[in-house]
Amino acid sequence: MDFSVVIEYFPRLLSGAWVTLQLVLLSVVLGGIFALPIALARISPVAWVRAIPFGYIFFFRGTPLLVQIFLVYYGASQFEAVKNSIFWPILKEPFWCAIIAFTLNTSAYTAEIFRGAIQAIPKGEVEACKVLGMTKVQMYRRILLPRAFGIVLPSYGNEIILMLKGSALASTITILDLTGMARTIIARTYTPIEIFLAAGAIYLLISMLVIFLFRQIELRQNRYLGTQSIQLEDKS
Amino acid sequence: MATTPALELINIHKTFGDVEVLKGISLKAYDGDVISILGSSGSGKSTFLRCINLLENPTQGQMIFNGSELDLVRGDVDLVPNNMKQLTQMRQKIGFVFQSFNLWPHMTILQNIVEGPLHVLKRPKHEVMAYAEHLLEKVGIAEKKHMYPNQLSGGQQQRVAIARTLAMDPQVILFDEPTSALDPELVGEVLGVMRNLADEGRTMLIVTHEMNFAREVSSDVVFLHQGKVEEKGTPEEVFGSPKSERCKAFISSVF
Repeated sequence: MDFSVVIEYFPRLLSGAWVTLQLVLLSVVLGGIFALPIALARISPVAWVRAIPFGYIFFFRGTPLLVQIFLVYYGASQFEAVKNSIFWPILKEPFWCAIIAFTLNTSAYTAEIFRGAIQAIPKGEVEACKVLGMTKVQMYRRILLPRAFGIVLPSYGNEIILMLKGSALASTITILDLTGMARTIIARTYTPIEIFLAAGAIYLLISMLVIFLFRQIELRQNRYLGTQSIQLEDKS
Repeated sequence: MATTPALELINIHKTFGDVEVLKGISLKAYDGDVISILGSSGSGKSTFLRCINLLENPTQGQMIFNGSELDLVRGDVDLVPNNMKQLTQMRQKIGFVFQSFNLWPHMTILQNIVEGPLHVLKRPKHEVMAYAEHLLEKVGIAEKKHMYPNQLSGGQQQRVAIARTLAMDPQVILFDEPTSALDPELVGEVLGVMRNLADEGRTMLIVTHEMNFAREVSSDVVFLHQGKVEEKGTPEEVFGSPKSERCKAFISSVF
């Protein structure tokens, strides 16, 4: 094995990692923004309002991400109407096709995570909002969403890590993300073990950063849980 | 005695599935009344209290607050509010204290208390803050205002919950077994705060198992049995010489 190729191609791998980061950050942020209204519609008391996000989530959770990417990338260009629309400059770019597919996918998962968190708030705390005469909007904006934020953090961090790993699929539509870049380098150097090990290490590093970041936010956000509930009393 | 009751409930019914929990309860509360609602478990007293501000939707009945009737329409089974604005405005004037406190755990004591007056009533901040400090002083937890609910004992949490209710300046306060979730040694401190409120002339409806407290503090006592008012009167009448057999048996079983 010859790890000098790793050093030689390291700048290329880093530029691939940067593309991966852009893919993940953009789709997670956009997905998070879309997820909130989807989650709120999902818990609506009105049946037909609930049905729309249900179908959306059912589709995006039930089909492979790779199929979704292909549908956007190969599917959209099949329609003349799409090619003639103002969206074509965006839809012809593999990068943006990946962003669209990732965003739709992660927003479906994230909506389910948000919904779970909102519904995990004890009923009594919701009633405490009602008896003060809060409107629905006040209730969600002032109390329930901030409360759900603390509950959502662990599973949301998990979803971001899943998205990070899922982003490797972008390499199938010619994007030179970390995985795509690794494959390109290997095609030239025939050193799959060295380069994939290096790429894997970079993925691991990014995951660690996400985990660390979420741990910090969690500690801050959930400080109300207090330390005394976890720490044992000092008997001395 | 005022001519218009602060709160009037007429013929409240509530059905859960096939079970009729409330079978037509009527009640009037005038300003300054302290009404204790007693009864064995399952008699429907908590459900009745929760029907007053529509935490439960009654199946039938009327609710009149300060002379204006709450606009209810028939939903699938129960009556539902027809005018959410009217309901929220009414709720702003009717305080509710829960058995399980229901403080918001992610907010400090002070934040819990100022939330309603600041963001629901939209009162000026300096005024709300000063009043909150005063209330914390009154319920005896001023030094804990920056702590979180989980860091307080049950009795302290319930006193915070009472302060949160008082911060809204409610015209009527409903207490749903406020001491039932507390350790015996913490009951006294909460009852002490409630006693002071009664002495101030606040209008209160109290569902409770604390018989001595009900006897000393109430202006009226209502005894519920199987979803009906079995007996009502002054504490002397209900505790001293109960007329119905069930009420007699209940009183003698707790004393």
